[in-house]
Amino acid sequence: MSVGLLYLLLLKATLISFSGLASLPVVRDDLVLQYGVLSDGQLNAAVALARASPGPFGGYVISVGYFVGGVPGGIAGWLALITPALLAVPLVHYVARRAGHPRARSVVDAIVMASAALILAATVPIAMQALGNATLVVIAVASTLVLAATTLDTVWVMAAAAATGLLAAWLSMPL
Amino acid sequence: MNEQMSGKLTAAALARVFLRNGAFTFGGGDATTASLQRELVANRGWLSEQQFGACYAVSRVTPGTNLLAFCTAAGWTLLGWRGALSGLLLASIPGAAVLMLMTGFYRAAISNPWLASAIHAALAAAVGVMLAAVWTLLRAPLRRTPARAAIVAVPALLLSVYGLASPLEVLALAAGFGLLAPNREIA
Repeated sequence: MSVGLLYLLLLKATLISFSGLASLPVVRDDLVLQYGVLSDGQLNAAVALARASPGPFGGYVISVGYFVGGVPGGIAGWLALITPALLAVPLVHYVARRAGHPRARSVVDAIVMASAALILAATVPIAMQALGNATLVVIAVASTLVLAATTLDTVWVMAAAAATGLLAAWLSMPL
Repeated sequence: MNEQMSGKLTAAALARVFLRNGAFTFGGGDATTASLQRELVANRGWLSEQQFGACYAVSRVTPGTNLLAFCTAAGWTLLGWRGALSGLLLASIPGAAVLMLMTGFYRAAISNPWLASAIHAALAAAVGVMLAAVWTLLRAPLRRTPARAAIVAVPALLLSVYGLASPLEVLALAAGFGLLAPNREIA
């Protein structure tokens, strides 16, 4: 399969989805069932790897591209991932031009509150999956308290948590 | 205002924020968005909560990956095209590079206990990042108009947790509420 066709197929999948893994059925249909250039095992591995990497879960299309076409395929996957995001510019431009209107401000105020609720809802499945033992719960609680009480950058909290994980592995107690 | 909050918005400073969050925030797009909310809104004050809400809503109605649409929208809001490209590229390239490396060595990467232990701990911290973002987003509305905050946030949470509405539908309902019941405190 050419890198160009791979890009177009992955772009089709990302363009018709509105969240990270929603494109999965389209990717499977095209690359596993129709073209036979990807196995189900590789698709599962791509999803698992994206979950274990920084960035969006939708980045699994980069792994998929790599499995199908090596580094050029991975780059095609990355391009398919970022292309739809450019559509956000005209949308936010449109919203910003109306931001001063009182009703528009009221709408955005309600959206801010709803977005907080959506982030909280998204936290639930991640917490259920990520907090498998007491040490991990302590890390999550400590991170919450530090971030809520200070202006420390998130990156330092992530780095401290990862260092704790390495220390636990060094003490033969991997998390 | 502390030193971080008074940090001047420059292309280089914004690029550093996107790069750091793109490279080091585990837990998916929601965790990274929460982390960016902390850095761009709460810590540095570059984006107002209203601007954050607009970017968040736009990211949800843009096809593809919400996080990258959010970074593009936030970058564009702050510095125009330069900021949009900075957000899009710097929030995605580090993760893409890590992902390609891990895909190349995926059997070894998945079974390495040191790597797995560090990733598990980082994912636990991502839970904390998300909870802290919820707190910083809701803190002001809860003080200003607690009843209104509860009327919007509680149903939004329940609808989403129980899968009764997609995030897009939840935001549309909230927008409808904001339109039909204007907030006199801010309008």
